[in-house]
Amino acid sequence: MAAKKDEKSQPVEGADDEVLRQPSEILYRNEIEALKQNDSDPAPKHWHMSPRAVLAFVLGGKTLKAKIDGKTLDVPISKKFYGDDTIVERAIVTLASERALLLVGEPGTGKSWLSEHLAAAISGTSNLTVQGTAGTTEEHIKYSWNIARVIAEGPNPTNLIPSPTMVAMKTGRLLRFEEITRCLPDVQDSLVSILSDKGIAIPELPDANMVWAKPGFNVIATANTRDQGVNELSAALKRRFNYIHIPVITDHKTEVEIVQKRAGELLQRYDMPVTLPPPIIELLTTVFREIREGKTDDGVSVKKPSTTVSTAEAISVAIDAALYARFFGGGEVGARDIARNLVGSIVKEDINDLAVLKEYVVLVAKRRGEKDKNWREFHDTVLASIK
Amino acid sequence: MTPPVISDKSLEKAGINLDIDVVKARVQQILEDELYWFPVRHHSPNVALHLKQAIQDRKPKVIFIEGPSQANDLIPFLTSRKTKPPVAIYTSFRDDGNVLNLAGILSPAEDIPPVFPAWYPFLQYSPEFVALQMAADRGTKVFFIDLPHYARITPYVPEKAHVDGLSDDRESEDGSRVNRDDDESEVGAKATSGDGAGAPGDSPVSGTEPEPSYSAPPNDNSSDDSDNEKARKQNRNLEFGSEHLIIESQFYQSLASVAGYRSFDEAWDSLFEMRKFDSTEMYRQEIAAFCCASRATTRRSRMVSDGTIDRERFMRKSISTHLQELGLKPSEAMVICGGFHLFYDAEDKESPPSIPQGTVYNTIVPYSYFQVSELSGYAAGTRAPQFYQRVWDLSIANRPEDIVVEHIVAVLTEARKKGQILSSADAIAVSQHTDMLSRLRGRAMPVLDDLHDALITCCCKGDPKEEGLALLRAIDAADIGSSIGKVTPDLGQLPVVKDFYQNMEALELNEVLGKEKRLKLDIDKRDPLGERRSVFLHRLRFSEVPLCAMSGPPSGDFSTGKIFREEWHLKWSPAVEAALIDLNLYGDSIESAAVSKLRKLLKADERSAGKTSRHLLRAIDMDLPDLVKATEELLSQSIDNDVRFVSLAQALTALMVIDRYFVYRNSRHGVLDELIVRCYDRSCFAILDVVAVPESDQEEVVAALVALAEVAQQGDKQSLDRNLFTEHVRGAAAATTVPFLKGAFLGVLSELRDIDPVELANEVSALAKAPPDVMVTAGDFLDGVMAVSRTSIILGAQSLIAAIDELLRACQWNPFLVMLPKMRAAFERMHISHRDSLATRVAQMYGLEEGGSIAELNISTSAAVTVARIDKQVADIMKDWNL
Repeated sequence: MAAKKDEKSQPVEGADDEVLRQPSEILYRNEIEALKQNDSDPAPKHWHMSPRAVLAFVLGGKTLKAKIDGKTLDVPISKKFYGDDTIVERAIVTLASERALLLVGEPGTGKSWLSEHLAAAISGTSNLTVQGTAGTTEEHIKYSWNIARVIAEGPNPTNLIPSPTMVAMKTGRLLRFEEITRCLPDVQDSLVSILSDKGIAIPELPDANMVWAKPGFNVIATANTRDQGVNELSAALKRRFNYIHIPVITDHKTEVEIVQKRAGELLQRYDMPVTLPPPIIELLTTVFREIREGKTDDGVSVKKPSTTVSTAEAISVAIDAALYARFFGGGEVGARDIARNLVGSIVKEDINDLAVLKEYVVLVAKRRGEKDKNWREFHDTVLASIK
Repeated sequence: MTPPVISDKSLEKAGINLDIDVVKARVQQILEDELYWFPVRHHSPNVALHLKQAIQDRKPKVIFIEGPSQANDLIPFLTSRKTKPPVAIYTSFRDDGNVLNLAGILSPAEDIPPVFPAWYPFLQYSPEFVALQMAADRGTKVFFIDLPHYARITPYVPEKAHVDGLSDDRESEDGSRVNRDDDESEVGAKATSGDGAGAPGDSPVSGTEPEPSYSAPPNDNSSDDSDNEKARKQNRNLEFGSEHLIIESQFYQSLASVAGYRSFDEAWDSLFEMRKFDSTEMYRQEIAAFCCASRATTRRSRMVSDGTIDRERFMRKSISTHLQELGLKPSEAMVICGGFHLFYDAEDKESPPSIPQGTVYNTIVPYSYFQVSELSGYAAGTRAPQFYQRVWDLSIANRPEDIVVEHIVAVLTEARKKGQILSSADAIAVSQHTDMLSRLRGRAMPVLDDLHDALITCCCKGDPKEEGLALLRAIDAADIGSSIGKVTPDLGQLPVVKDFYQNMEALELNEVLGKEKRLKLDIDKRDPLGERRSVFLHRLRFSEVPLCAMSGPPSGDFSTGKIFREEWHLKWSPAVEAALIDLNLYGDSIESAAVSKLRKLLKADERSAGKTSRHLLRAIDMDLPDLVKATEELLSQSIDNDVRFVSLAQALTALMVIDRYFVYRNSRHGVLDELIVRCYDRSCFAILDVVAVPESDQEEVVAALVALAEVAQQGDKQSLDRNLFTEHVRGAAAATTVPFLKGAFLGVLSELRDIDPVELANEVSALAKAPPDVMVTAGDFLDGVMAVSRTSIILGAQSLIAAIDELLRACQWNPFLVMLPKMRAAFERMHISHRDSLATRVAQMYGLEEGGSIAELNISTSAAVTVARIDKQVADIMKDWNL
């Protein structure tokens, strides 16, 4: 039986059905439309909706009536961010202010996820993105030239290739700058004038050599705390950003909810007829949380691994376990599947993390396995895998 | 116009089952009552402002305030111009006749009556304080009308027959009341609106009001008797005021959920504090409606069990009695109380509870902003006394809108003092952010929560818990402030000062008072008087009252064997009284002050096993059993969390001392054993973390190593694995590149006979063959060895001397000069007898069989030669005589 599609997941017509991953503004277009139709608050210039509507889009929980494709529908707004709601409020306010927004946190805490949804709701597009890497240059951030045409015609505005930044500035939209601290410092600093003057100078053009940002333009950058100290932002750039730290989810109930929801969505995307039984999700999130915190629910201190044990990793393990169960197992995800796929998540860069996992399994999982079949299977499989 | 807090739409939105018409009717009925009721929240500047206006408008002839009725005599002192808030009414009840049957449960022994203290703090902007001052200025009569706190204490009923709680007990005695105390809420809830909602007497009223802090005395009884425990808990956590009832109410919970309030403070500030109202009457009406809706969705049984109903009965009776005595009409009076109480049950004719007989002591004490802040753990405090003081000051100055900028500047100033680089541009960004956040959150004006969020967003470049720690501390400093109050000297002695003198008299230490003479006191703690004196003096010393000092090692230092004996020196000075007055901020007695101070330290040091263990020792020395238990639990956590070798070793040392002490006390228990093993194991594992510590930390690492080695060597604890220690020390010796530490690690192993002393000599010998730059480290190596070695040096002296000799022979002059200071330092560490012993062996090695001591030459050389010649002649003569 085909799964019933709710409003939020209705794909756009035509070729989009074939797209592996749709951007937020497409995936949640009905929600965005419903929020716009019900939005009575004023929106800042060039914003597609008011700050309150943006907040409602990210936090979800409401059902709105809206006319979609000529039909009046009840559109439920799904929850897209789990954690402290004030983080989203602070982020939205920052984007409406003079300063740019830098989302910082451990890997897998949902920085890019939040950035994408904010851009989709505020600017109607989340695709004006610069991906920061060690190879990112100033041209990626500002503009470049069609060299062949420059040789033939000399520099003129039609030969200029605008960067996503320039497009965002010209149209009053949000620029997403992913992993900004991966860029070299001098490249990062090309943002200083963009954020302070709100303009880009094009000295090659004799006339019209400035591009000014329209109201609504701002930058949402993300940075990984694990990269801190690698390419630290300069003081000048730091003060042009408001930092918002996104913590790792520590609430067990919330983490279970996130893993359930996200894993379910992804499995649906892969057309996987596999379900993740709640006790298995419970086990998975318990292992992740306890290893992350270095302390179990029973008060046993355990070592922490050097790698980040984020909720995103837990979702990834759940999906891998489901794929394994679907193609190589009996079709139902069990503790064994979780155990097999978990080792690679915990032990990544440092071989000493193997000892960390072993300690946890021997001290904690073994004892629980005396009473619980899932924990026993988990214990046995992990030990067999790391022998 | 100000939109109302409660409307049909808002109730529907929040999904609250409440009949708005009934609530409106109840509120209107109370607001139109002949007696003028003014609902208040403690420490609310906006309430204080409106109350001030209401008193000016109404000019009442008498004001009734929800405050401790047993302290009415103190009102003139409270309103004295010489009294400066923050101050608190301190009231205590001593159950001399054991009428509550709690002696031995809430006191150390059955023959010691329990004492129940409570504090009622007042700030400059507390509505009650403003009302008291206005009454004093206008010559209006004023009375506190609340039930004394000790009338709410549940007597202990030993057998199962007793019912939980005094109030429940009373209610069940009256058949007509039993049905009233079921789980139905009072009025306004739609389910009951059909039967008389709106009828007089059904009015549900409760509200926010002055909330005293209360603390029961510590208990020395370690019995686990469940009845006793229940009685203890019940009477230690008396709930004051009615704010907790509002917070628990379905109305508030739904409201908070819909509006996204993270705390009641945020809700209050959004709805009533940081908001302008068209008139005082509208303000009064809004708070009354809020409280009425809260009470309407609160179960009556809850109000019975927490004493609210009893208090209302008492307050009503007090009001009518005073009015009768003064011959005034209700319309000439004003009642200032928590809004919850406005909607008391007028049909309830039950008498208030009787007041237990005992010794009641009331006074006014200086208080501090920190004490009244929630950070101090005072449940009924305000979260930011200085912030609200600022709100009050600016409101008085008629510029309330400046609060955001003023507070931001205050926080940034504090942050700059803490080394944060924050500019005016940051202040502007925070101001803009605060304003926008408050609008996004639908508030009329920014509240403190918006300010905090904006400060974190704009000024913290990273994780608030790491990069933002200095900023968070600055926020706390600006929010809380540091003001300390003053009490008029006309009032007399403070309770803590009184307690001090009572103790001095009881412990027969009065002879030291008022004299400049020093008194030496030898205490044997096995003697009951000695034990009590020791406890008291430890408490004084810890509380920094400059009366006493302990000479020699602290008690419990088992290395000196002075576990039970202490030597104290006592000397009186005027500074003693001054310190006692300061101590009053921490408690009303020396004991409670020591408890408060130690609690504060425990909180600050909770992550350090070493410091926490020392606090445990202090708690034992000061005989604070409750804190001993709490500290043990805390220590258990800090041992689990602390990974620092030195700290863990310090904790282990302290635990071993405590273990000895408990053996003497015959009160050892399994928890301690378990802690010792865990601390020992973790210390051993942590040794590898100190193989490369900087020179400044090396001495304390060595001290910790020696302490751990002593524990491992004693062998009186079977569960401590000696091999675990030696295995890790061996690993550390192999891993370290620091010569001093290598020497120390190997020295410890040698001392434990885990390696032969010859191996130490081999290390020195190897250095003799090394290049000069390595050879010069021999001094550091030997310094490390000597720092930890005792007997093993002497046992292996021969080989060590030979190795050092080899080293010195191989060493050139310049390298020798480099290693000399450390080499000398190394030998200076040795005991003089050990040094002599080594010197003898050196002498023997060089053929000087009689290595006599070298005496300083105090005579001329020629005289010395003569003496030597005579000495030789005498020796020859004696030889001839066969002597």
